[in-house]
Amino acid sequence: MSLEKKDEMDHKGWMKRKDLTPVETTFLTALIWMDKRIRLVDYLELLENLYYKVNLQMPKSHTEQYDLDNKFWYWYPLYALGSFSTLAYVVAAVSGALLGFYYAPAQTGDPSTAYNSITFIMTDLQFGFMLRSIHRWSAQVMVAAVFLHMLRVYFTGAYKEPRELNWLLGIVLISLTMVFGYTGYLLPWDQLAFWAGQIGVEMSLSIPLAGEWIAQLLFGGFTLSQATLQRMYILHVFLLPFVVTALIAIHIGIVWVQGIAEPH
Amino acid sequence: MTPPPDDADDASRDSVESDGSTADGHRDVVVPMRLYKTITVFSTLIAVVGVVVGFVLLDAATIRLSLLRRLVVGLFRAVGVVPPSTLLSGALAVAGLASIAFGAGVYVLGTRFRARGMGNPQEDADESSNDG
Repeated sequence: MSLEKKDEMDHKGWMKRKDLTPVETTFLTALIWMDKRIRLVDYLELLENLYYKVNLQMPKSHTEQYDLDNKFWYWYPLYALGSFSTLAYVVAAVSGALLGFYYAPAQTGDPSTAYNSITFIMTDLQFGFMLRSIHRWSAQVMVAAVFLHMLRVYFTGAYKEPRELNWLLGIVLISLTMVFGYTGYLLPWDQLAFWAGQIGVEMSLSIPLAGEWIAQLLFGGFTLSQATLQRMYILHVFLLPFVVTALIAIHIGIVWVQGIAEPH
Repeated sequence: MTPPPDDADDASRDSVESDGSTADGHRDVVVPMRLYKTITVFSTLIAVVGVVVGFVLLDAATIRLSLLRRLVVGLFRAVGVVPPSTLLSGALAVAGLASIAFGAGVYVLGTRFRARGMGNPQEDADESSNDG
């Protein structure tokens, strides 16, 4: 196969034959000039070609084989929710890493350093408002998408044998997603965060026998303090990212190996 | 009543019948497929860049912290000119709006071209509308 173009369209001759207005001729000449120099369309055509050729290599899916598309097509958008939550996770990770350059989890000062750093990001940092909004929205989208993904898996029966392990892994992941959300919720250290933290401490303390130990472990005491904020911060930016990323990789890896569960 | 445009027309042949205005006054030019791809890819790209650059310029016109504004002010300072803040804002705002308008214009211009067989479904319908 040669990379040389087989036949080049005679654009100039074609344009002369057409009855075009001066604006159209200028427009087309400019675009053709760019097309000759920036061969974007050629690369897109390569991708298009690749897409069709890869598709031809794929085995027929259950729905194709038994011609069930007319019955199941309305489920298909819901099959995108797993990818959608992964995408939201990646967006949250990137925006969170950038926020990490500006956020400080210290509780000293009045108002606290943590709250002041949020105020700085929201009011003084250029694109800071946008960055924090992207982080918040992607986090909330991820929680919603993960939940709807779980509903889709449940109602299409995709959790059934031989996929039980991945279902359990999914339960762990949705729980960790919510821990991610909760720890991130406390980081601004404003009124909302503080009282959400208070609720967390009291919920821990309400657990029989192990309650006090759990409150100590998670919140660093029975009342909110610098230790609480420090723990939430380390959970949010150090522990959870590694654990959740690894589990998502395994979760997707198992889907890769087992294939998508077809609706039955 | 003009006859509907002939979609089977080979665009590389000399053709006038499918060009020109359609019944609703919307101009419609049939182009070869490869050229259609060029038009779609590049006019969309130019439109997106035009609008984004327009908003960056509007930011520079209205936000003192804007990187672009600081760059422009810095460049003027380097050659020993201190532009009045209001004049600079005005010029940047006009440039921003012009850039957005340019992007929109390029996009709209791109929509009048189509490849063979890509007619408006309403125009391609067998029966013609007689308004009820």
